[in-house]
Amino acid sequence: MKPDISAVLSDITTRLVAEIAPNVQPAYLASSLGLSAGLLSAINEEFERAAHRRVEENAAIRKLFAEAGGLQLPMDLAARLTSLAARPDTDLRVSALDSTNAELRGALIELQTALEALEGPEAKALDTAIWAELAASTQRRKLAAGNF
Amino acid sequence: MPQSLETQLAAYIATRLPDARDVVVSGLARISGGASRETYRFRLGYRGGDGQAVEERLILRRDPPSSLIDTQRRVEFAAYAAFHGSAVPVPKMLWLEEDASHLGHPFFVAEEIAGFEAGPMLLQTEPYLACLPTLAERKWTILGEISRADPDTLDLMGAFERIAPDACWKRELDYWEGVIDEDEQAPQPIIRAAIRWLRANPPPPAQKVGMVHGDYRTGNFLYDTEGGIHGILDWEMAHLGDPLEDLGWSLNRIWCWAKDDRRGGLVSRETAIAIWERASGLKADPAALHWWELFNCVKGQGIWISSAKAWIDGANRDPILAYSAWLMLNAQDRAALELMGRL
Repeated sequence: MKPDISAVLSDITTRLVAEIAPNVQPAYLASSLGLSAGLLSAINEEFERAAHRRVEENAAIRKLFAEAGGLQLPMDLAARLTSLAARPDTDLRVSALDSTNAELRGALIELQTALEALEGPEAKALDTAIWAELAASTQRRKLAAGNF
Repeated sequence: MPQSLETQLAAYIATRLPDARDVVVSGLARISGGASRETYRFRLGYRGGDGQAVEERLILRRDPPSSLIDTQRRVEFAAYAAFHGSAVPVPKMLWLEEDASHLGHPFFVAEEIAGFEAGPMLLQTEPYLACLPTLAERKWTILGEISRADPDTLDLMGAFERIAPDACWKRELDYWEGVIDEDEQAPQPIIRAAIRWLRANPPPPAQKVGMVHGDYRTGNFLYDTEGGIHGILDWEMAHLGDPLEDLGWSLNRIWCWAKDDRRGGLVSRETAIAIWERASGLKADPAALHWWELFNCVKGQGIWISSAKAWIDGANRDPILAYSAWLMLNAQDRAALELMGRL
C-alpha cells in the first residue's frame, strides 16, 4: 500500500505554504510558490471527483438531447443530437471524458441557440432545463478556494 | 558574455540622464505586479550635475514573452502620466521605451510608491478588517474621480482611440468575444448565452465617454492599515469608453474576496454604487449597469481563457496563468448565471 494521492498532495501543499514559501526570496518567487501550492490544492480537490462529475454531466446533457426529439429543430442538428444522446461514456479516462464533454457542450450551445428562436411550451421547458443543467455544472466544478 | 539586466538598465538610464555620473542600478528584484507585465523593484544611484549623490527607489515594468492581457506599453504609461498629480493617486512615470533593443522587450520606469500592501486576501485579516468601509469609500471615490475626468483635458499622448457614446458597448463586446473565439480550449455555453443576450439587448449610449481604467478592482491598488489608498495600479487595459464598464468590473462577483456578498470584499453592491455616483456625478442606470456587469463576465472569461491558453501553449508558464484559469473560469460562469437570473 502506498500513501493516498489526496493525502500526499495535501501534505505537500501544507509544507509549501507553511514551511518553504516563508523562507524563499525574492518575494516574487515566494508568491509563485504560494500560487503553485494553491494549484496543487485545487488539483487535489478535483482529483477525487474528476471522473464522477464528468460522467454525471455528460449523462445530463445526453438526457437533454434526448428530450429535444419532438422539437422543430434544423434536421442536421436534430440528427447530431440524436446520435450524441445514444453514445454513452465507455472510456473513463479524464481526457476522454473531457473530449466528449467538449463535443456535448458545443452541441448544447447550438441547441440552446436554436431553442431561443422557437415558440411553444416544449421549447421553453427544454430551455429552462438547459439553464438548470448549466447551473448544476458550475456547482459540480466549484472549488473551495473560488470567490463565488 | 551577456550583460545582466541591472547593467543593461543602468546603461539605458545613463542615456536618459545625460548630466548624471556613476549611474548604478542595484537590488533589482522581481515582484508580483500583475500577470500582464514583468515588474521589478530596484534602486538607482548616481551623482547629479552638482556632484551630489542621489538614490531613488524605482519600478521597472517590462513586457513578458506572452501576457495574460495583450496591450500596448504606451497605453499604460500614458494613463498613469495623465492622472499624476490629480485626485487619482498614481506613481510618477519617468521613461517609456518602446524600442526592444535595450532590455529585450518594451518597458517603462516609474517611481516606486513604497511601504503599502496590494494583496486582496490580506484585507480579510487583522488589522485591516476595521478599515474596510473606509477603504471602500476611498476605492469607489477614486473610481468616481476617474469617471469624472474629462479626456479632452488629459494629456493622453495620442495613445487612446476616440469613440462615440453609442459605440462603446459594441467595440468592447466585439473585442472580447473575438478573444474567446480565438483562445477557448473548450466550448463555453454559459458565456455564449450571455453574449447572445448582450447583443439582443444593447445598453443605452454612454452618458459620457470617459477614461476607463479597465481593471479597477481590489488587488490593483496600494493600501494602508487606516483605509487609505496610495496608488492605483495596473492600467494596461485603460481605454476611452463608458464609465459604467469600470463600475461593473469593480462589482463583479469574482472579486468577492471575503466569499460573501460584499463587493471587492469590502461593502455591499448598493453602497459601492452610491459612493461612485456621488464622486463621479454620474448615474448608474440599473438596466445599463446590469448590461455592463454581464459584459464584464464575458470580458473576465476572455481574460481567464487567454491565460489558460498562454500556459497550455507554453508561451508563458507563470503559475498565475494556470491558477487564474483554475480558480476564475467557473466563478466567472457563476457570476454570469447569477446576473441572468439562472443560478
